[in-house]
Amino acid sequence: MAQEQLFMEGAVEKREPIPENVERQTMELNLGPQHPSTHGVFRAILTLEGETVVDVEPVIGYLHRNHEKIYETMQYPQIIPMTDRTDYLAPLTSELAYVLCVEKALGIEVPERGRILRIIFNEFQRILSHQLYAATFGMDIGAFTPFLYVFRDREKALDLMDRATGARLLFNYFRIGGLRNDVNEAWLEDFRAWIDNFEREGWPEYVRLLFENEIFRVRTKDIAVLPPDVAMAYGASGPVLRASGVRWDLRKAHPYLGYEEFDFDVPVGEKGDCYDRCMVRVMEMKESVRIIRQALDRLPDGPVLGKVPRGVMKLPKGDYYQTVDAPRGETGCYIVSDGGATPYRVKWRSPAFVHLQLLPYLCRGTKVADFIAILATLDPVFGEVDR
Amino acid sequence: MSGLSDVVRTAKSILTGHGITLKEFFREPVTVRYPQEKIEYPRGVRGIPSQKVNPETGDLNCTACGLCARACPVGVITVEAMVGPDGKKMQYPAKYELDYTRCLVCNLCVEACPFDALEMSDMTELSSFSSEDLVFDRDRLAEIWKRSHAARIAGGEKI
Amino acid sequence: MLELAAGQGGMPDWLWNFILAALKATGVLAFAMASAGLLTWVERKVAARIQRRRGPEVVGGPWGVLQPLADGVKLFAKEDVMPRAVDRWVWALAPSVIFFPVIMVFLVIPLDPKFGALRDLNIALVYLAAVTSFTVLGIFMAGWGSNNKYSLIGAMRAIAMIVSYEIPLVLSVVGVVLAAGSLSLVDIVEAQDEMWFIIPQFLGFVVFYIASLAELNRTPFDLVTGESEIVMGYLTEYSGIRAGLMIFSEYIGLLATSLVAASLFLGGWHGPFGTDSVVWLLLKAFFLVFVAMWIRWTLPRLRIDQVMNLGWKFLLPVSIANVVLTGAWIMVR
Repeated sequence: MAQEQLFMEGAVEKREPIPENVERQTMELNLGPQHPSTHGVFRAILTLEGETVVDVEPVIGYLHRNHEKIYETMQYPQIIPMTDRTDYLAPLTSELAYVLCVEKALGIEVPERGRILRIIFNEFQRILSHQLYAATFGMDIGAFTPFLYVFRDREKALDLMDRATGARLLFNYFRIGGLRNDVNEAWLEDFRAWIDNFEREGWPEYVRLLFENEIFRVRTKDIAVLPPDVAMAYGASGPVLRASGVRWDLRKAHPYLGYEEFDFDVPVGEKGDCYDRCMVRVMEMKESVRIIRQALDRLPDGPVLGKVPRGVMKLPKGDYYQTVDAPRGETGCYIVSDGGATPYRVKWRSPAFVHLQLLPYLCRGTKVADFIAILATLDPVFGEVDR
Repeated sequence: MSGLSDVVRTAKSILTGHGITLKEFFREPVTVRYPQEKIEYPRGVRGIPSQKVNPETGDLNCTACGLCARACPVGVITVEAMVGPDGKKMQYPAKYELDYTRCLVCNLCVEACPFDALEMSDMTELSSFSSEDLVFDRDRLAEIWKRSHAARIAGGEKI
Repeated sequence: MLELAAGQGGMPDWLWNFILAALKATGVLAFAMASAGLLTWVERKVAARIQRRRGPEVVGGPWGVLQPLADGVKLFAKEDVMPRAVDRWVWALAPSVIFFPVIMVFLVIPLDPKFGALRDLNIALVYLAAVTSFTVLGIFMAGWGSNNKYSLIGAMRAIAMIVSYEIPLVLSVVGVVLAAGSLSLVDIVEAQDEMWFIIPQFLGFVVFYIASLAELNRTPFDLVTGESEIVMGYLTEYSGIRAGLMIFSEYIGLLATSLVAASLFLGGWHGPFGTDSVVWLLLKAFFLVFVAMWIRWTLPRLRIDQVMNLGWKFLLPVSIANVVLTGAWIMVR
């Protein structure tokens, strides 16, 4: 597809063309960086014609904390708590990308129990992230109550995380070579109970209250359709790409952590509209529950932390890359080492940053209210976008 | 919005939603009245790092080796060893400062300590009007540990 | 009122009438303000219970009922901030222009079988339609005078919505008027002696309720002040008692509309076993208020073009069909 075509196609003008002798005026609306529903500090300069969005200019960088450069001054184990702060709604997947990358470089083996627990926590993290996504999406289109229903369940989940990792938001739980600490039987028992409760009561409740609501459907169906070829051309990944009908999941395509042993489906959308992007995430929660159940059944005994070389950790000279399928898409960690105690360069591939490029394409020709919904379906976390 | 079946489906989905909210309306609230009621933190929660005290001698376990300071990703720990009468460094901290304003509460210092001298406390409500107040010295960190683990110490648990 | 008028003690008629009108106005104002205050508290409690929270309970009284009082005091005590760029007079007058039409609705509501309404107009429904459409002017003044793009978008949405929903709203009442044979609300309530109009006029009631939710800018039609899109719509630049007045008028409007709906469709003061009194009217109105709150905390928000579609392509045909059916039914009967 030609470049020009790619950028122009989003401008869908469905109305009658305005007669020539009528003067057209557009209005610029500065949405953000302090705005109730820009998911953090995001600024969008909207060019409006009445309620219709003519153009969007995303402005990012309000949460830039210079992560990648700071990593260059830190030793390898010290970077783990920092990776939490990129995607702060799914810290464990960022940690996973980083520790897998370092383990790949050093050739460290993770014990079986550690590996299975990593899968459990990774999928738990995906549920938590998608759950919050569903909640905030409801709020963005005006339904406040589902938000608090999600928090009712999420609080209990965070309590579980608190017991396992010691923190509720920035877990800092994965270590190079495994996990910081093991979980006990009582925890696993409560965790099973939470998963059961989530599958039996929580999940159906959100779906029936919000996602099956007719108002929700008319608000999201056929809004901002993203064709698969455009999605791929922009480098979309994760649920945004899968919603367009591309069955691409790193857990299947490039399995890490031994995901190939597990039996799960990759939900895909049909059209790639807002509704599909939403429902793909909702269905993924179900699949995560499936993976967790299988993992819990085959959880062996043993240590959770493998043998790690003593002393200051140094990566062999070279460059290493590892991607994981984070809740928001493909999170990648690229480390260049010059053989020293600190990395020479770290590059973080954050999915939401890539997805924000889609915003002008998706928003042209929609309404202001749709802009908020579209932004929400891309599910950006600005800690990750700005890094 | 055309066709009777659409109207019926819309009405049904909206009534379903109302059924759910009405059901929840008659249930008990799940929130607690925070400042008056508090949920007990689970064991192992990460509050501010604190200095362990030997319950028998009252001395700190810390030997001022400085490994925690080196492990800290943000460099908020300052350790200075006590200088003995003979001018040699003793294995005891003269100064141990933790700047809580920048602390990540990441637990890496606890993991780095080879002498089991640090432990995370469950103190999280440490707000203050001045940032100087949040630079904790040796004795305040020990005090926090004692308060945080008072029940365990009193229970005679081996620490 | 007639007994009172007998003992005017040598006062000239015009003075007596003036005092009487002032008393009535004060009473209505006091009732409206008090109930609006109560409603803000009720809304917060209902929202809290639906969301499994506790809601206000710290400030005063059992379950925090004095919360609105504290809020009112706070709003009054706040600095009156006037942004530099606003159109002074238009901006400052807008809250009053929104507030007074809403109060005027109370004049014609039939309260009690003996007492009747404060003023039993024989064209009460026409009066209501005229008075309520005044609110649009206030909203436009607020949106335009604020000199803020969010306010302007909000006001434009409000005007489009309120003007379009006025038509199904009025048409849905026509069925009731046909059935009762009068435009006076007192007559309409008396006509419901045997059967509430909600039974023969169910379609009309549904259209009336949906349209009145839109008129009141409540969910799912709250896109006028949809905080996730346009911050607070035409309220964005207001603070202190001006914002308070506008929020209060929304709640008074909710109560007034519920009172009208209760009179039109739910039999007004009529209760079972001959216990007709104003208490029944209030109970019915508060039930309708609760339903509006229930809807607010359940449904997402519609988009402006969908709101227009619903109004013009669904509610308008349905309300016209209702008028035709009612007419046919009356002819046949």
